[in-house]
Amino acid sequence: CILQCFLSLTVFGRAIHAIARISDEFWFDPVEKGLALRSVNSSRSAYACVFFSSMFFQHYCWTAVSQPCQKEQQLSLPCKLIIKSVLPVFRCVNVLERNVEKCSISTNPNDHHITFQLLCRHGVVKTYNLSFQECDPLQAVFAKHMCPNILKVHSRLLADVMVHFPTSQEEITLSVTPMKVCFKSYTEEDTDFSRTMLTEIQLSPEEFDYFQVGVDSEVTFCLKELRGLLAFSEATSVPVSIHFDTCGRPIAFSIEDLLLEASFILATLCEAEKKAASPEPACCPQPWDR
Amino acid sequence: IVNTIAKLAKTCILRLTVCKLYFILSDKVANGGASMWCELSQGNFFDEYQMEGVAAEHNEIYLELVPENLSRALKTAQSAKAVKIKLTNKHCPCLRVAVELPSLSSSSRIVTHDIPVGVIPRRMWNDFREPSMPDFDVSIYLPVLKTMKSVVERMKNLSNFVVIEANLSGEMNLKIETDLVSVTTHFKDLGNPPWASEDGCQSSAQSRDLESMAEACIDIKKLQQLLAGQQVNPTKALCNIVRKRIVHFILLHEEVSLQYFIPAIA
Repeated sequence: CILQCFLSLTVFGRAIHAIARISDEFWFDPVEKGLALRSVNSSRSAYACVFFSSMFFQHYCWTAVSQPCQKEQQLSLPCKLIIKSVLPVFRCVNVLERNVEKCSISTNPNDHHITFQLLCRHGVVKTYNLSFQECDPLQAVFAKHMCPNILKVHSRLLADVMVHFPTSQEEITLSVTPMKVCFKSYTEEDTDFSRTMLTEIQLSPEEFDYFQVGVDSEVTFCLKELRGLLAFSEATSVPVSIHFDTCGRPIAFSIEDLLLEASFILATLCEAEKKAASPEPACCPQPWDR
Repeated sequence: IVNTIAKLAKTCILRLTVCKLYFILSDKVANGGASMWCELSQGNFFDEYQMEGVAAEHNEIYLELVPENLSRALKTAQSAKAVKIKLTNKHCPCLRVAVELPSLSSSSRIVTHDIPVGVIPRRMWNDFREPSMPDFDVSIYLPVLKTMKSVVERMKNLSNFVVIEANLSGEMNLKIETDLVSVTTHFKDLGNPPWASEDGCQSSAQSRDLESMAEACIDIKKLQQLLAGQQVNPTKALCNIVRKRIVHFILLHEEVSLQYFIPAIA
């Protein structure tokens, strides 16, 4: 059995919501050092991982499950949950902090159940029992430190930029040179310009806390998937780091502090690949560890 | 103003002349027969205004656009240092709205929105002439728009049509009738504009009984859209009713005038 209680419900709830934008299911992976939540979308073009260190929780107790055969290494048991079942637990994140005094999560591997229990005001206790599936671990491998372009900025700036795009905007293009940074609506070759409104935002490098552009590049990624991370990082007020390369190579948005680490890795469109009409819509972060 | 227009029409015509801008909606079937004429002086809004029409004798430009797009682009400009609007032709003609926003660093942020527009050729300009004031039966000042709006909004839940009737004694009624219920809201002491005293306009009005009501049944949604778009109380608001034919609303603000025609349902 594994038991945890939260320090910050808002942050945890926002993380769940952010991951929900990627896919309907997520991996719940408690390890000795903390809890990892991971998700990947069906087309393998977006991957999210949020890791809460044990210090994030008021009380974190993790016991390795003993294997029947002692020669085998003790592995943590990641399990897969359907997000839709978990979201109601953390709905109305803002209201949650006020009403809920304590939240605890416990797992019972024998039972294949995870229990979320919220102890609310006035003695109300809400218990959610969710079943999970055992599955193979999921981990994307992405060499962030090898990226020539790194930008670091407070999430407020990114949110201020994204507000100019309509909520229906699917993809946007980030274009950088050492002199300027530009976010613009993505247009394909066959876009009907007479019907589409295009938006472009230009920023100067000075607005970024850290600005390194090794190679001029223009990368296009899915904005919808990113919005979840932006809401999450605003809750934590940790700055967002953006690591990327040229088009076709993945782009990683990450936040990191003492208590948690989160990475959202999105595939970027590559014009050359599109013309070749490859089956996948975009390149994947590679390789996938299975 | 653009927000108001955006609530009234999905697409409309923007006519630019040297002194004025006009937002026009013509009474085609697609608009449900309603038409609109909104006029404003460029001097009240723009620090700099330069335009060149099709030809010297016809120094005007007619553009077709989606006001919702313009409204969205202008939302960006709420805390702007400067806004520039240009008509350009990239992939297709568009209005480029360039907004300079303040930022934490020394150089500003620049947000550009390209709104696609259609240029209307000169031969079609006649479709968009200013509608003339109809020969109305009654002309009356409107009640406080906020009150009228909340009445109409609640009526909208009950019926698709509303009968608007008024007389020359400053009384107006809004009536709806369904199988289950009928609701009438009465407004009194509204006052009538002094058209009747002007020459030739309504010679028959003087002989008309001041108490008799002129009524027209109109689509309630159109009325609600018009009222919903008004965020500020106009300097003058009145309507002219042509019995069973059309209701003509005139809303005047300091800088802009808006006329909206809603045809009566038979």
